[in-house]
Amino acid sequence: MGQEKTTLEIIAPTVDEAVNRGVSQLGITRDAVDVEILDSGSKGLFGLGGRQARVRLVLKQESSAEVSAPGSFPGKKSTMPAAESSTIAANEDAVLQTSRETVKELLEKMKVFATVTAHYTEPEESGEERQVLVDINGDDLSILIGRRTETLNALQYIASLIVSKKLEKWVPLVIDIQGYRSRRTRQLQQLARRMAEQAVHTGKRQTLEPMPANERRIIHMELSSFDQVITESTGEEPNRKVTIVPKK
Amino acid sequence: MKELIDYIAKSLVDDPDQVKVTQERVGGKIRLELHVAKDDMGRVIGKSGRVANAMRILLRVSAAREGKQASLDVIEPR
Repeated sequence: MGQEKTTLEIIAPTVDEAVNRGVSQLGITRDAVDVEILDSGSKGLFGLGGRQARVRLVLKQESSAEVSAPGSFPGKKSTMPAAESSTIAANEDAVLQTSRETVKELLEKMKVFATVTAHYTEPEESGEERQVLVDINGDDLSILIGRRTETLNALQYIASLIVSKKLEKWVPLVIDIQGYRSRRTRQLQQLARRMAEQAVHTGKRQTLEPMPANERRIIHMELSSFDQVITESTGEEPNRKVTIVPKK
Repeated sequence: MKELIDYIAKSLVDDPDQVKVTQERVGGKIRLELHVAKDDMGRVIGKSGRVANAMRILLRVSAAREGKQASLDVIEPR
């Protein structure tokens, strides 16, 4: 296409207004741009000292997998995705597109404006099915993670249900925010090894903090090759915990 | 807030036309009521309330963005 990256910065009383103004200035739809919030502004006291919101709109490039559906760039010629030539590949693209759009829609309804992309993960072991990974990036997204990853897991669950319903097949999504899940996975693996060593060293069982199922699974997996300990989960959700038991 | 629950519910049920969300203020809090067709109750509640609870968690974020507190009840059709 050779199209240049178009960006536009807008200042308005609120983030919403800024985005809407920018989008109508460009004469495009909300889906066609990535929104970068430069300053979410502040109300100020009694209308005094308030800061205006500042956003940057970046027109999405047409080449990547997360491209909008053809036709979402009014007035511009859309290229059909190359994947359309094969039925299977076209279906796969529908999965990514539906996943991305569903998460984006949910976030917008929650008044959270962030960049959403979707891609497939490479299966860790052959034979394992590849998963759809949806990445959310933006400023100040800690509100989307929540205590014990509660909010992120709820978002992931609801998004999976909606996408599966739309596509009429079960599509398990994994949603990550600013690389949080991969960071957390490494932390949990380190924690697992440290606590296993402690269990062996002291001869006492070590009980970890309550964790959601996917995090407990990481601990069990990490220690499955450790032959000096066994791991088990005890208690009821949401207070289920992993216990590391030294073998006698 | 209402739009969020409305969107989720309509996306999950078989009969979106019967989805209705009402919103009222009770004291300092917002109370949302979700009405769906009888056959769709299970879809918006889920096994041991898992779907409804996930909706509540997302609603909490949405409400916090507006500096408010909100609750969600799923109402059985008469």
